Amino acid sequence: MSWTLLRGTFTQRRTSILWYSVSLIAYSWLMTWFYPQIGGGQYADLIENMPPEMLALFGGTEVDFATLGGYFQTEYLGLMWMLITASALIIFAGKAFSGEIGAGTMEFVLAQPISRVRFAITRVVALLLYIVVLAAVSFVPIALFGPTYDIELGAETFWTLSAFGALFMLAVGGFALLVSSLFRDSGRAGAITAGVMGTFWIADLVSNVSEAAEVIDPINIVTYWQPGKIINGDAVAPEAWWIYGVLGVVSLVASVVVFRRRDVA
Amino acid sequence: MDVITTRGLTKFYGKARGVESLSMSVPAGSVYGFLGPNGAGKTTTIRCLLGMLKPTAGEAEVLGEHVSLDGAALRRRIGYVAGEVNLYERQTGRWHLDYVAGFRGGRGGLEADLLERFDFDPGRKVKELSKGNKQKLALILGMAHDPELLILDEPTSGLDPLNQEAVYAVIDERVAAGRTVFLSSHVLSEVERVCSRVGIIRSGRLAAEEDVRSLLAKRLRDLTVTFARPVEPALLDDVTGVDSVMVLGETQLTARIKGDAIDAVIKRLASVEISDLRISHASLEDVFLEFYRHTDADDAPRAVAGGGEA
Repeated sequence: MSWTLLRGTFTQRRTSILWYSVSLIAYSWLMTWFYPQIGGGQYADLIENMPPEMLALFGGTEVDFATLGGYFQTEYLGLMWMLITASALIIFAGKAFSGEIGAGTMEFVLAQPISRVRFAITRVVALLLYIVVLAAVSFVPIALFGPTYDIELGAETFWTLSAFGALFMLAVGGFALLVSSLFRDSGRAGAITAGVMGTFWIADLVSNVSEAAEVIDPINIVTYWQPGKIINGDAVAPEAWWIYGVLGVVSLVASVVVFRRRDVA
Repeated sequence: MDVITTRGLTKFYGKARGVESLSMSVPAGSVYGFLGPNGAGKTTTIRCLLGMLKPTAGEAEVLGEHVSLDGAALRRRIGYVAGEVNLYERQTGRWHLDYVAGFRGGRGGLEADLLERFDFDPGRKVKELSKGNKQKLALILGMAHDPELLILDEPTSGLDPLNQEAVYAVIDERVAAGRTVFLSSHVLSEVERVCSRVGIIRSGRLAAEEDVRSLLAKRLRDLTVTFARPVEPALLDDVTGVDSVMVLGETQLTARIKGDAIDAVIKRLASVEISDLRISHASLEDVFLEFYRHTDADDAPRAVAGGGEA
């Protein structure tokens, strides 16, 4: 790994990292603060008035909306959090390989005495650190501000949520990095990753109301993301850990292998 | 000893040819001019030499090491200035100098000297720099650590004449200190000024390789003469090496002059009264068209020494 490249990566991405971090802290705090306003019984009343099909679309079959987990899944972690973190990771990963090649700066960096493997591994480490940051700014505010608003996550729930959230981001970020290593234009790489994620999300929604769409569920990383169940104290299905872990690790390793062999100018 | 050797180096981008069957060698301690019109394959060759592109066929050796895609140790001994300068727009020149120093384990010994000679302010962000100042920064970044081999892809692009001369002076000094310079260019005057030997690439193939003196003998000049009074249109007809003569009105004449014929032309013009005279060097592309127009049909590159036509 190259400390110079690692420092350089975070220096170049500092504005983006700062904005995403501040946004996630603010959003997490906002949703925590908002829970007493509509949470509990009021939220259950609101949900009862919704058509069952709409409830199903938003994962009503997986988690009880009237619970704390249901609130966080529906209002924040089940969609908006996914959108925010996925976009952050897609941008970060896109810049890691294809962005540098497209901008021509890869030629400048690789004219220096740094091997491609070292370059790629440093970018993987940078992505992993970014995931840790995103997980921290997402879940620490909920645990930190929660008691003020009658929300008690508990240590085990907090750590499970953080670890599973980080693993979900590893799967998304790893895939984004792999796509980035294949192309020379970060816009195209980002569009492909976003397209795949969008397709998964739509497939997950449709599978809530259509059995035909359930065939994709075993490989759909969006389907496995059930933060509401974790907050409610349920265990995460072992296959979910495996799917995220294997997809993340395989993608990261593949991105290093691809980058090592490709044209970079 | 040769610092650069390529054997059948070939790079295709899909079906598009970048460079094909390029075999050449660059001796140590020389300034080797790598010439060719835009799109000829110069940059592709350089990127293959630096391990940024994977050759479709053939191989290259640089500083005695086989070029691979992962040659970090080799690149420690090379300084590279890209033809198109792409740096981090939001970072300063100082940040770039620190960045390179981080990769190379310390500041380049020539950094302070180059900053002064190019009169470059490293405190400004790249996005605030003019094209010429970006080029200066790229030159400083590429040359500061005094590499054994300098690979310069059109290094004076965007520089004013004063800074161009500063670049040439640095090149002269580095070569005097035993370094080797591989210089890609399509500017004939630049090649004349600094190079000792040239390889000429056209349509992805090495069209010729020769020393600069023989290239100079092939130099083309465009002549425009305005006479004080009407002269014979056939004034230059019997001068060997004069081509494309055009008479404009009764008092103006244009012609293309090859190589050493300029002396005979000037002596002939001395016999008439002239009110204006303009002589410009033809572009390198015109030289190619004039002297290498038939090489596309040949499979084998030509190695010509001593001024014979290729």
